[in-house]
Amino acid sequence: MALIIGIDVGGTHADGVLLDGDQVLTKNKVPVDQEKLSEAIITLLRSLLPEPPAKPGAIHLSTTLCTNAIVNDALDEVGMFIQAGPGMNPEFLNCGDHVCWLDGAIDHRGKVVKKPDQDLIDQAVARFGRERLESVGIVTKFSHRNNGHEELVHDQVKPHFAHSSMGHRISGLPNFPRRVYTTWLNAALKSRFSSFQEAMDQGLERLQLDCPCHILKADGGTIPFATAGHFPCESVHSGPSASVMGCLALTPSQEDAILLDIGGTTTDIGILAHGTPLLEPYGVTIKERPTLIRSLNTRSIGLGGDSAVALDVAGFTIGPHKLGPPMGFGGPVPTPTDAMIVLGAIEAGSRQQARAAMALLDPEQPAEEVAGQLLAAFAEQVREAVAEMIEELFDRPVYTVAALLERKKIHPREVIVVGGPAQAMAAPLGQVFQLPCTVPLHFEVANAIGSARTRATLQVSLYADTADGSLSIPETGCREKIRSYFDMEDAEKKVMEVITALAEERGIGTLPEIDFLERQEMNTVRGFRTSGKIISLKAQIRPGLEQL
Amino acid sequence: MSRCMPSAPTSTGLVLFPAFDWCISPTHPEREERLLYTKDQLIEEGLEDVNNISFFNPEIAAHHDIDRVHLCVPSSRKLLTESHLISAGGAIRAARAVMEREVEKAFAVVRPPGHHAMQTVFGDRGFCIVNIEAIMVEYIRRHYGIRKIAIVDTDCHHGDGTQDIFYNDPDTLFISLHQDGRTLYPGSGFLHESGGPSAPGYTINLPLPPETSEEGFDMAMERAIMPILDAFEPELIINSAGQDNHYTDPITNMNFTAQGYARLNRRLNPDICVLEGGYSIEGALPYTNLGIILAMAGLDTSHVREPDYDPANFVQPPEMNSYIGELCDQAVALFAGREQLRREQAEQGVVTTDKRIYYDTTGFDVRESRSYHLCPHCPGFTEITAAGLDRQVHAFSIPFNACPRCHTRAKDRFQKSSGDGHSQVVLQDRIDDLYELK
Ligand SMILES: [Zn+2]
Ligand SMILES: [Zn+2]
Repeated sequence: MALIIGIDVGGTHADGVLLDGDQVLTKNKVPVDQEKLSEAIITLLRSLLPEPPAKPGAIHLSTTLCTNAIVNDALDEVGMFIQAGPGMNPEFLNCGDHVCWLDGAIDHRGKVVKKPDQDLIDQAVARFGRERLESVGIVTKFSHRNNGHEELVHDQVKPHFAHSSMGHRISGLPNFPRRVYTTWLNAALKSRFSSFQEAMDQGLERLQLDCPCHILKADGGTIPFATAGHFPCESVHSGPSASVMGCLALTPSQEDAILLDIGGTTTDIGILAHGTPLLEPYGVTIKERPTLIRSLNTRSIGLGGDSAVALDVAGFTIGPHKLGPPMGFGGPVPTPTDAMIVLGAIEAGSRQQARAAMALLDPEQPAEEVAGQLLAAFAEQVREAVAEMIEELFDRPVYTVAALLERKKIHPREVIVVGGPAQAMAAPLGQVFQLPCTVPLHFEVANAIGSARTRATLQVSLYADTADGSLSIPETGCREKIRSYFDMEDAEKKVMEVITALAEERGIGTLPEIDFLERQEMNTVRGFRTSGKIISLKAQIRPGLEQL
Repeated sequence: MSRCMPSAPTSTGLVLFPAFDWCISPTHPEREERLLYTKDQLIEEGLEDVNNISFFNPEIAAHHDIDRVHLCVPSSRKLLTESHLISAGGAIRAARAVMEREVEKAFAVVRPPGHHAMQTVFGDRGFCIVNIEAIMVEYIRRHYGIRKIAIVDTDCHHGDGTQDIFYNDPDTLFISLHQDGRTLYPGSGFLHESGGPSAPGYTINLPLPPETSEEGFDMAMERAIMPILDAFEPELIINSAGQDNHYTDPITNMNFTAQGYARLNRRLNPDICVLEGGYSIEGALPYTNLGIILAMAGLDTSHVREPDYDPANFVQPPEMNSYIGELCDQAVALFAGREQLRREQAEQGVVTTDKRIYYDTTGFDVRESRSYHLCPHCPGFTEITAAGLDRQVHAFSIPFNACPRCHTRAKDRFQKSSGDGHSQVVLQDRIDDLYELK
């Protein structure tokens, strides 16, 4: 069995595990200086290495590099080439000061309405050059149907800039504003990510490690480190995804289930449908910008062990802020952690101070009583957020009669909890959800385990228009001619071919089961005659665990 | 709330349900493909992420919601498929979103359409079986107690079904502007069709000449529709938002544009829109629907242009302008005289009219006779007999605004009538919300 190292970098420290199959051989934790991320990771790696001559077969890394760059506004300035065509006024698009608005358009069916003006492109190249920009992003509306204009601009600007990103390569999904923001973000992260990559490569070399290294993505999957250099935005928001995959690894489930990761100030919620984590319809929202970065359907609520608590006639207010450590650890205001100390669910901390915290909330009642009520209120707020998520899942738009009639609601059968306060919260959560509530073994390194056990994910989208005789698979830049009798079977074959090639390119050994999604086949009729067919099909390797 | 996406000044709900798995027949204009490109455009625009724009799935209307409006022969259960219930349910969902203040306005982009479906229904007429706006209107009245409602039908075809359903209701102002019936299906919709004896002047038809363009629609809005609406003071404005006036529509002859539809919508300021026709599925609908949605939401529509849009193509000859101007004056005069006409007509006791209704999809006729039992205090009740396809119905229809005396009178009549072998007798009671059959 191959040895795998999983590392999860958080805000203040990084956790790591060395796994042999599903056995945890070593676990460790090191503090992290976000400015010197690669150093901390290499240090942690060294401590996790197996006894020679054994060597790890792979390293999986969930890193905050890009997330932090975004939070701290440490993004590169990007030169954007945007072709919006007819539609909404695109001026709202907020991606820096360097935007070249291209004229021309591609329509909803991928037909070229008009090519972008050459002079505009030339002028922008010169201007971006003068402004010493190193990274450019190129996006057109409907480039998932026809990447022609993105490629055309790309060919011309590529020689002038160190980094370039095209919208259609990052995602095959529709949604132009998201495509613009995703491309911009990707371009803005490229130089930072490549420096990180260099530092890591050197570190790995020093440790004489030559095994494959994979980066965790937000969608509960991994991507090879080398490929991530082209798509650094994919590494954003991988923390919640590590946590979901960790829960899955520690408590395999075939049911609908709720996954909770309770931290100091937030609780992350994930949902499993028949044991598979659910994805967002488009992608994660970053810095108020909706993107096409494929992501698990998770939600973070401002509710954690260290959240500040107040009590008034309306009940407990928990969070969203933290005003220092819990009172039991010398902090200024009552927190849920104090309630856990009072109830004996946490051994550490001053029980006397924690009781004082409860008395501050309600002097009339015994501290145990207040503590119980507080944790019940905490659990209830989690339950409400979960109920809302389940409702939203049910309300996702559908477009066919069959889909509308077949919609099913998620019915969770269990709750799986990880994170610091997990054990203390299991009972109150079980109570409000009226479901069995599990805290898995090794829950404190769930994210690192999730990172280690996660397999690669892939998605490709095919759009074929037999009236036009054209086929497009944006993620690979494929655009080719097809015959008029191209059908769904051909589409499946083509998609399998492409996904297999892509998997090989990304070092995925045995291809896991491929899901075909959103199968749509529609006749196009012109003048009361069938003129062709529009076929669309998506295929994915769904988020899952590497089979042992 | 994302600061990096636009915010709609008016919160707007969308029921976008293209029913990709339903058609009348594979090559019929009302086929699976119809809203494909519209959906593609709306999704690619990122409307789902615009602040204050919300998407809703349709609900499934109950047969009871249908029976509140229609007299289906043999029955709503036999005539309707799930697709029709979903289309009507889409309109209901849009209305509910507005009435329950989830959003300020809503647009049901659903199919199949409904405005050719009349009160009696024997089958499919002009791509419609049931009148989804009318079902929505009576649902709103039933559940939210709204009385005065204006329906403005901007489809290129005369909204003869909606006209038929509300013909004798002075609490529903029905305005239809459409291509002149002498040149287009269904061949009706002239100024003199102006309402039943209890509601004269409450049906306003503006038959526009073929090739009418932005100017003509602007004129109709400014000189007739808006002044009439202002005088009527509706509690709710509904737009039957057909988009077949577009210059690229294959089955009509008008010269209207996405810019024009957006401007019309902005001026009309409807609370709820319901999609009707529109069969230029690639060249028009993606742009007209987007224009209407952005206008409803109060967002900038200036970039919504068809790829080949050129304002120079939309100039109208002066004769056309003066013709439309005159039409507007006549419509305004007609509406101004409505109360006097009503007083004159209420004296008549019972007024009977006959008509023949043609069902074009399968090709058969229905003969219908209507007796308006008038009343000085209310619109009275209506007695309807209709026969076609070897079936017959004899119905008493009590409007929501009938007075207690008329309510009792109609129920008594129903009790005393007896069905003979092949004729069913129906009581459609919108006051007690009952539909009885014998
Ligand atoms: Zn029409
Ligand atoms: Zn009366």
